[in-house]
Amino acid sequence: MTLHRRDLLRTGLLAGGGLLLGFSLPRPGGRMARAGQADQVGPSPTAFIQIGTDNAITLIMPDTECGQGIWTSAAALIAEELEVGMDQIKLMPAPPDAKLYASPALGEQATGGSTSIIGDWERLREAGARARIMLIQAAAQKWHVDPATCVAQEGVVHHQASGRSAPYGELAEAANALPVPGKVTLKEPADWTLIGKPLKRLDTPGKVNGTATYGIDVQVPGMKIGTVAASPVIGGTLKSIDEAAARSVPGVRDVVKLRNAVAVIGDHFWAARQGL
Amino acid sequence: MIDLNINGQTHSVDVPPDMPVLWVLRDVVGLTGTKFGCGIAQCGACTIHLDGQAVRSCMLPAGAVGNAAITTIEKIGDSPVGAAVQKAWLATEVVQCGYCQSGQIMSATALLEQTKKPTDEQIDAAMAGNICRCGTYVRIRAAIHQAAEA
Repeated sequence: MTLHRRDLLRTGLLAGGGLLLGFSLPRPGGRMARAGQADQVGPSPTAFIQIGTDNAITLIMPDTECGQGIWTSAAALIAEELEVGMDQIKLMPAPPDAKLYASPALGEQATGGSTSIIGDWERLREAGARARIMLIQAAAQKWHVDPATCVAQEGVVHHQASGRSAPYGELAEAANALPVPGKVTLKEPADWTLIGKPLKRLDTPGKVNGTATYGIDVQVPGMKIGTVAASPVIGGTLKSIDEAAARSVPGVRDVVKLRNAVAVIGDHFWAARQGL
Repeated sequence: MIDLNINGQTHSVDVPPDMPVLWVLRDVVGLTGTKFGCGIAQCGACTIHLDGQAVRSCMLPAGAVGNAAITTIEKIGDSPVGAAVQKAWLATEVVQCGYCQSGQIMSATALLEQTKKPTDEQIDAAMAGNICRCGTYVRIRAAIHQAAEA
């Protein structure tokens, strides 16, 4: 029997219920609102793109960056159609919201099995294209010109005939009020400036200065740390434990008895580990 | 209470003296850039500087630090050598998953503070305690040479 790496990955993925998801909350206020207008034709691009009136362009990454470079590839898919440079964008992980961010290939909000680009290939380029069309439309309405005479480039909409231009941030609020376009025409491969080109990783600066948040780095107010000793044999159940020693460890808050395991809760990992 | 000099600031922490500095940094002070890998000083992910020397914080008791200055990945860029190492790391695209790279950068910076132009052999010897499961060793060596030229 030959086991391929991808089979192993897929098996592991399904058995484990999906790989770790980064999580954080969308930035509130002043951003293009989230999806949800009932009368829209296509899905709102705002699930993946937030443009602030301060011209901050934030792309929401549906996939977990594990070193495979997906944050750079996924960002390039959006940026290619949005017409923004890779140096103009900030990235953030998608919050837990399977309706908006489930992988089209896996059917759940998960990353694995080399499915990210397969799933993102159309939805992220379409999101970028829809946002660009809405921004151009907003500029054209503001200038009372035909949208077809405007072009978007490096985060700015230009109307060459009159020499006017406006950065996306200035147009974001007006664009947000427009209907989301339905079917969009994506750029031809010959016109790509980012897709298929060598790009610098966007996630690595935070990984050389300690600011990147890995799963183990997530901290919430009042958070405690737990360690677990599970039954060493399948079907084993907990008979009794002497909690005194664990509770005497400085920083240990609780000893939790489970059917087949014991957990020690501490103020920090050291306490939880010493107490176990 | 134990007073620790971390990145130029004094932190008074209420922890047992045998608690490793790693957990003081991560769970008490909130500096999560220093990583937990093995907890037994075998992988180097938790490397910090103690008075400029690279040490494994997972086996360093808080009570043993005394007045020594602790520097972590969050502030290593304040030193010219640390900043050069970080720059070379990005230019060379050293990072794959990045989990071990805080420790790699701390070890590399300590090396370059002491040996301005290390040879491959000196780099390999100084970096031998830092394991990278992604296998970025070749790029790490190239980046250290690049930082040495900066």
